[in-house]
Amino acid sequence: MGTKRADAVAAYLFLLPFLALLTIFFLYASARAVYFSFTDYDLFRPPNWVGLRNYVDLFNDALFLSALRNSILFAIIVTAVQTFLALVMAAVLNQRVRGIGFFRAAFYMPSITSSVVITLIFLWMFQRRGLINYLGETVQRSVPIVLAFAAIVVALQVAQVAWERRRRLPAAWTDPALLVVSLLVAGGATWLLVTTGVLSAREVPPVDFIWLQTRDTIPSGAPFWLAVPIPLAAIMIQNVFTTIPTFMLMYLAALQDVPKSLYEAAAIDGANATAQFFRITIPSVAPVTFLVLTLSMIGTLQMFDQVAIFGDAAPLRSVVTLAYFVYNRMFPGAQTPEVGFAAAGAMFLAVLTLVVVLLQRRLVRSEGY
Amino acid sequence: MRADAAAPLSHAEQRALEHWQARRRWARAGLVYALMLAFAIVFVGPLLFATLSSLKTDPLEYPPTLAIPQLQLRNWTAAAQLGQAGAGDRWFGGFAPGAVVPFEISYFVPDGVALSEPEVVVPRRRPGAGLGAVLAIEFAADYATVSELELRADVPVTIETPAEDLRGRQVTYAFTIAYEGEGPVIDRLPLDVTADLGMRYVESTLTASRLERRGRTASFNDVAPGLLGYVLRNYVRTFNEVRSPATRESLFLAWIGNSFTFAFVRIVVTLVIASMAGYALARLRFRGRSLIFMLVLFSQMVPLQVLFISNYLVLRDGIVTIDGFTLSSLWGYPGGMLNSLTGLVFVTALNAGAVFIMKQFFESIPREVEEAAMIDGASHWRRYWNVVLPMARPALGALTILTFQGAWNDFFWPFIVLTSPERIKTLPIGLLSFRNTYGAVGDWGLILAGAVLSAIPVIILFVVFQRYFLEGVSFGGGKE
Repeated sequence: MGTKRADAVAAYLFLLPFLALLTIFFLYASARAVYFSFTDYDLFRPPNWVGLRNYVDLFNDALFLSALRNSILFAIIVTAVQTFLALVMAAVLNQRVRGIGFFRAAFYMPSITSSVVITLIFLWMFQRRGLINYLGETVQRSVPIVLAFAAIVVALQVAQVAWERRRRLPAAWTDPALLVVSLLVAGGATWLLVTTGVLSAREVPPVDFIWLQTRDTIPSGAPFWLAVPIPLAAIMIQNVFTTIPTFMLMYLAALQDVPKSLYEAAAIDGANATAQFFRITIPSVAPVTFLVLTLSMIGTLQMFDQVAIFGDAAPLRSVVTLAYFVYNRMFPGAQTPEVGFAAAGAMFLAVLTLVVVLLQRRLVRSEGY
Repeated sequence: MRADAAAPLSHAEQRALEHWQARRRWARAGLVYALMLAFAIVFVGPLLFATLSSLKTDPLEYPPTLAIPQLQLRNWTAAAQLGQAGAGDRWFGGFAPGAVVPFEISYFVPDGVALSEPEVVVPRRRPGAGLGAVLAIEFAADYATVSELELRADVPVTIETPAEDLRGRQVTYAFTIAYEGEGPVIDRLPLDVTADLGMRYVESTLTASRLERRGRTASFNDVAPGLLGYVLRNYVRTFNEVRSPATRESLFLAWIGNSFTFAFVRIVVTLVIASMAGYALARLRFRGRSLIFMLVLFSQMVPLQVLFISNYLVLRDGIVTIDGFTLSSLWGYPGGMLNSLTGLVFVTALNAGAVFIMKQFFESIPREVEEAAMIDGASHWRRYWNVVLPMARPALGALTILTFQGAWNDFFWPFIVLTSPERIKTLPIGLLSFRNTYGAVGDWGLILAGAVLSAIPVIILFVVFQRYFLEGVSFGGGKE
C-alpha cells in the first residue's frame, strides 16, 4: 500500500513540468478560447458576454466565408490529389531494387526543409516571368516533338510485340524489355529528326499566366463554393509537391509487404495491370490509405504558413484559410482586434478537425482495420 | 497465347523461355531506376534550381537558363585577379587606396557603323533596396579615376546568323580604374560602359552583370569582386547588406544565432520534460494515468489557432493579473515575454508528441532489464537517471534531431511572438522580412540565397542522420 502511494507521488513529480505546461498552454488556453468566443474581447478592454453573436456573425462575414470555402476546397482537393498520386507512384516503383536509400533521401528533401524556404522558392517560381510559366511554354512548344516520340514508341512496341508473339513468346503489350528498346530507339529517332530539321518545336506566344496578383478563379466564373482562386491553386500545387514523397514512401513500405503471390495468382486468372491495381493494390494498402487521408486532411485544414508567407503577394480573399482568418482577426493591422470573433473562428476550425478525425476513426473501425 | 502452355516444351525451349523472362526482369528494374531518377529530379529540382539561380545576378531572368556566368571558370580567374588588383584580396575583393584595376571590353562593330570610343563611368549606385538602402555608405565613384581608353585589338570577324552573315570587326578597349590618394577601403566597384548604338557588346574581362538601354550599356555590379565576392555575391550580400540601421549589426547573423539558441534550448527542455513524463506514463501505476495519456493524444489534435489566443495573452500579461501585478513580472519581464526568445521557449515547451515517443520507447524496454540492473529499494529517480535514461540514448538521439528540425523550421510561434525589433527574429521569420523588403523590388537573388543558407543545417542533419528522420515519420504516423 505504501509503495502504491509512493508510486503516485513519484509519478506526479515526474509529470510535474509537463502537467504544468499542459494546464497553462492547453487546458487553460482551450477554456479561455471557448470563453472568448462568447465575448467581444478586443485585447485591451475587459471582455463582455455577447452569447452566440460571434458564431452568427461568422456566417455573415465575407472574409470568413472565403476562408471556409478556401479551407474546404484546399483540404479536399489536395488530399485527393496527393493520396492518389502517392499511391500510383508507389505502385509504379514497387520493386525491390538496390540503392533505394539514395532515392529515398532525394524524395524527402522537399519535406524536411522549412515551409518558409519551400514557399519562398515557389513564390519565385510562380512569378509572371518565372520557372512555372516557362515550363508551361516549353511544354506547349514541344508538343510536336513529344507526339512524334510517343507515336514512334507505340509503333515500335506494337511491331515488336507482334513479332514476339509470332515466335510464340507470351509478350504483353507493356513488355518491359521491348519497351526499353522502343524508348531508346524512339529517343534516338526523335533526336535525329530534330537535328536534321524535319521536326521542330512549335512557335507559341510566351505563357504569361498570372498566378499571384489575381482575383480570378478556376474555373473562371464558377459559383462561389466551387471556385478555386488561382493563388490558392498555386499553394495547392506546392503542397502536393512537398507532401507526395512522404506519403509515397509510406505506401511503398506497405506495398512491399503485399505478397507477390497475390499478383501472380491474379495474372494467371487473366487480370491485367489496371485490374490488379484496383483489386489487389488498393485493398491491401487500405489501412495506410486511412492514415494518409487523416494526416493529409488535418494538415491541409490547418494550413497557415503558406498564406502568411504569401502575404501581400496575393489578394487576401484568394488565399485566406480558417487558420489564417483567426490570426487575421486577432491582429488585423490598423483595425481593432476582434478576439471574440477570432476565437469563434478557431472553435469552428477545431470542431471541423475533430469531426474529420472522428469520422475517419469510425470508418476505420467499421471497415475492421 | 496461354494455349501454348498446353504443349510440352523441349529442354531448349524451356531455357530460352527462362532467358527471355530474366531479360524482362532486368528491363523492369532498369525502368524502375529510370522512373526513380525522374521522380528524384522532379522533387529535388526546385531546390537545386533555386540554389543555382541564387548565384545569378538576376534570378528572374527570362528565359531561365543554367548558363550562369558565375559558374564559368574564365570569370572565376578574372574575379580573383581583379579582387587582387582592387584590394589585394583575391577572395572578397574591394577597392583600396593605391589600387589599379585593369579592365578590357570587346565590341562587335558591323560594317557601316562608325567606330567610336565607349564611355566608361563608375556610377554612384546603391547596393540593392531594403534594409541596406538607408545605411550611409562610401561610394567608389568618389575615389575612382578611369584612365584613357586604349584600343588593344581590332580584327575583322564575320558573325554567322541563320538569316545572313554579318561582317564587321571586333574591337577591344583596355583601361584601368585607379584609386588615387587616401581614403577608406570600399567594398565594391561598380562600372557602366556605354557604347554608341550599333556597336554590340561581346565580352569583357568579367561578364557584364546586365545589359541596359537596349544593349548599349554594359553594367557591372562590381569589377573588383574577388572569387567568392563574385560567385557567391548574393550570399555575401545577405550578411553584409542586411544590417540594423541603428547598430550596423548584421541581421542575418543575428537571426542565425537566434535560431541556433532557440533550437538548442528547446532540445534541452524537450528532452528533460518528455523523458520524465514518458517514464512516469510508461512505468508507474497511478490514479489519473489514463486520463493524462488521453490528454497527450487529444492535445495533438487541437489546432494551434485555438490555443494561440490565450497563449499569446499569457506571454503578454502573465497567467493571471491581480492589480496589475502578473506572474511574469516575477521572471523579470515586466513588459511581458513577447519579443523574447524566453517567451518563445515557454510557449513552445509543451510537446505532447515527444512525450508520446518517449513513453512508447520506455515501454519497449523490458521491465526485467531495469529490475535486474537495480538493487532493491532504489528510488524511482535513480532508476530513471541511472538505468533507464542511459538505455534510452537512441530515442533521445532521434528526439534531439526531430526537435532541432522542428525548432529550426518552426514558423507559427516565432511569427506570433517575435515581431520587433528585427534582430530578435529567428531565421524563418527574418527570411519573411527579406521577402517583404526585397520581393517587392524583384531582388530575388538575396531572398534565394537566404533561403538556401537557412536550409543547409537541416539538410546536413538529414544526410547524416537519415535513419532518425525516417523513424520520425513512423513515430508521427501512429505506430502499430
